[in-house]
Amino acid sequence: MESNAGTLETRSNKTALEREEVAALESLQFTDEIHCLMSAPATDNASSFTALLELPAPQAVQLIHSPDSAKLIAAPAPNVEDFKGGFHFPSNGGLIERAARFSVFAGEGNNNSDSPEATSNNSSANLQKAVKSEPAETDSSQPLISDPTVENRGIKRKDREKVKGQTKKSKTTVKESSDDTEKLPYVHVRARRGQATDSHSLAERARREKINARMKLLQELVPGCNKISGTALVLDEIINHVQSLQRQVEFLSMRLAAVNPRVDFNFDSVFTAE
Amino acid sequence: MNNPHHLNPTSLKSRFTTRFLRALTKIRAQKPISSSSPTEIFRRYRRIKVAADKSMAYSVRSRRIWSRAMLWKLRSRSYRRQDPCSGRRSGKTNQAIMKKSSNENTTTRREDGVGFVEEADELRQLVPGGETMNLCNLLDETAHYIKCLTTQVQEMKKIADFYSF
Repeated sequence: MESNAGTLETRSNKTALEREEVAALESLQFTDEIHCLMSAPATDNASSFTALLELPAPQAVQLIHSPDSAKLIAAPAPNVEDFKGGFHFPSNGGLIERAARFSVFAGEGNNNSDSPEATSNNSSANLQKAVKSEPAETDSSQPLISDPTVENRGIKRKDREKVKGQTKKSKTTVKESSDDTEKLPYVHVRARRGQATDSHSLAERARREKINARMKLLQELVPGCNKISGTALVLDEIINHVQSLQRQVEFLSMRLAAVNPRVDFNFDSVFTAE
Repeated sequence: MNNPHHLNPTSLKSRFTTRFLRALTKIRAQKPISSSSPTEIFRRYRRIKVAADKSMAYSVRSRRIWSRAMLWKLRSRSYRRQDPCSGRRSGKTNQAIMKKSSNENTTTRREDGVGFVEEADELRQLVPGGETMNLCNLLDETAHYIKCLTTQVQEMKKIADFYSF
């Protein structure tokens, strides 16, 4: 089993994740299927591993097959340190450890607490968590390869995508776990499924995340905004709230202007009343 | 004057309250209420409103974009009111520059890929200094502005209730 796993490793690093899943979880009956699937997406579309590396395909494949990970570190690609981790050919202990990780249904501080689909199914949560924390993964090629494993586990692809869509939130924890070895001066962001990974859209997406986070804060501030869905309506509500507060200030200052000064404005009396 | 009942003597609430009460006493000292004619009341109301905004802006200092913009507005307004000649030189030119920059910023329609431009523009008009903010900062400033406005309303309500029962 270990030798088979070893050959699986040498094939293509981008599918290291699925291979390890296979090796750890399934029996050997699926290895042939996996082999066919793995060889197919090597010439896949732009959002695959080679595009991530920003290298032409043959050169990338050459890099994969060469156990020289130093070259890959120098390449200007995101998630490089993740790939580097994948170049280690895990020994018995590594595989068994991963198998143990898959089989242990413990909530290891899964950040995706707001994805009910994942938490409802423990196995899927762990599987996808392991998916997330494994190095060398691509978005488009993954469903092709992981279909046999996914179907075997009875997990819907929708759940997978949704959880993967949440991976962005926990990208910092993933990064911290993998950044121990090497710190690169790049922001490593995991792309969602079917989304481009160039710098502009990444920055755009980061901006949108910031805006969404601030909108959530505002929703908590303004009473009655929690039930409203849709940012335009929430903004309308916020505008109404600000306008009402400003009008209240004007009304109160009018009241203060009209009040009779029976007593002088001594501060102590005012403060004791408060 | 110790404030034993305030939880935190340096909180926004107590800073605003002390400043505002001081301004109120000054306003009352200026014009003793002999006649409560509507014009008098209206004039006092305007002064009190300005004092409330000024106390709040001074309590926040320059930590926020909206407070800085509000202080700038108040200062330029007071300069213009006191001395029209100097206002022509400094205040108006500054205001013209600021208006021009804000116009430039607003004419470039901030679409930014998010779908709510009209609401964002309306919010920009509400929050002082909002014209020169991008959406991200605008939301930030709005949150802080709402917090400060709420504090202001609460304190003014307490004062008004205390003096008008």
